[in-house]
Amino acid sequence: MDIELNDAELVLQIGSGNARDAEAELFRRMAPRVRLYGLRHLRDEQAAQDLAQQVLITTLEALRAGRLREPGKLASFVLGTCRMTVLDLRRNAQRKERLLEQFGADLPAPVQWSLPHLDHEQLTRCVQSLKERERSVVVMSFYDEQTSADVARLLGVSDANVRVIRHRAIHQLRECMGVAA
Amino acid sequence: MSCENPIDAAVLADYWLTALAGSEEEAVELHLFDCDQCGARLREVIALAEGVRKIAREGSLRMVVSDSFLKRLAEEGLRIREYAPPAGGGVQCTVTAEDDFLIARLAANLTGAKRVDLCLCDERGVEQGRMPDIPVPSGASNVVYQESISWAKAMPTSKMIVRLVTFDEAGSERLLGEYTFNHTRSMPGPGTLPPVI
Repeated sequence: MDIELNDAELVLQIGSGNARDAEAELFRRMAPRVRLYGLRHLRDEQAAQDLAQQVLITTLEALRAGRLREPGKLASFVLGTCRMTVLDLRRNAQRKERLLEQFGADLPAPVQWSLPHLDHEQLTRCVQSLKERERSVVVMSFYDEQTSADVARLLGVSDANVRVIRHRAIHQLRECMGVAA
Repeated sequence: MSCENPIDAAVLADYWLTALAGSEEEAVELHLFDCDQCGARLREVIALAEGVRKIAREGSLRMVVSDSFLKRLAEEGLRIREYAPPAGGGVQCTVTAEDDFLIARLAANLTGAKRVDLCLCDERGVEQGRMPDIPVPSGASNVVYQESISWAKAMPTSKMIVRLVTFDEAGSERLLGEYTFNHTRSMPGPGTLPPVI
């Protein structure tokens, strides 16, 4: 598509029918966002990819049928669909298979998921260069995924202090890795 | 399109860690569904988190850890070699190729210690490196110190002394405990001692 449509225009084009370019653009625009949501909530790349397929199928169905009353609120609609789908996924894994069987062939090929590459040796040096408390907080948070309260108890500091230490450490790591804070 | 209200990377890390309050999380998610620039930043944060997780699993960091951290490592099937010398005492120690983590459990009376430093000394007791203001849980009776397993595997047969020190109100250093590690090398390698820090 040569001219980038805003969300509302995209919704209206899809609703008017025969809009494969607009549907492809919807997929291109929303799939990475849904996958990020899925990765955060499902903690699994394949599950996040599956979620993106299901959510976009549901969204396309709704847009083709003109069920989105406020076209400008596409992002909210997709987010809401994500929330409902994750709840649904947890309730009923079978629905996923049925939807994919029915609509999967209509979807464009999935975009390969990728996270930015980080220099492992450099990151090791950056983590080792943190202050002791910062290193412990970052490792316990990211490796162990402990809550701030758990980390606070283990390190003898307050919950709020854990968050402050973690924030400082993340900024320092990003700076050390040459990423804008 | 440039984001007018970019979400700070540290807040995105909180989001990734499920550490935001409900309303704050909702606001972040709605923003992420409308902003690819912040989505890209979140991917950077996730890559950082995954990188740190990978490094933590390698056992090559020198740091103070918790028992729950060790428990999680053990659950993952990683092999932990642990020594627990008494304060003022020593222990015979080694590492093998199969070890993934090397832990020293340093017993000490930490009551009232506001700041604790961990000092790494050579066999003569000369300080070679210091970890200032290490985290110490309130009421703890020991410090769980992780030595770099890659450093330990390269270490020749030698003696290493670790000290825990605190400071009185006048700022003078006070010894909490000294621990001697008599390391016997059990792996082939060069005969020189790698630098401590």
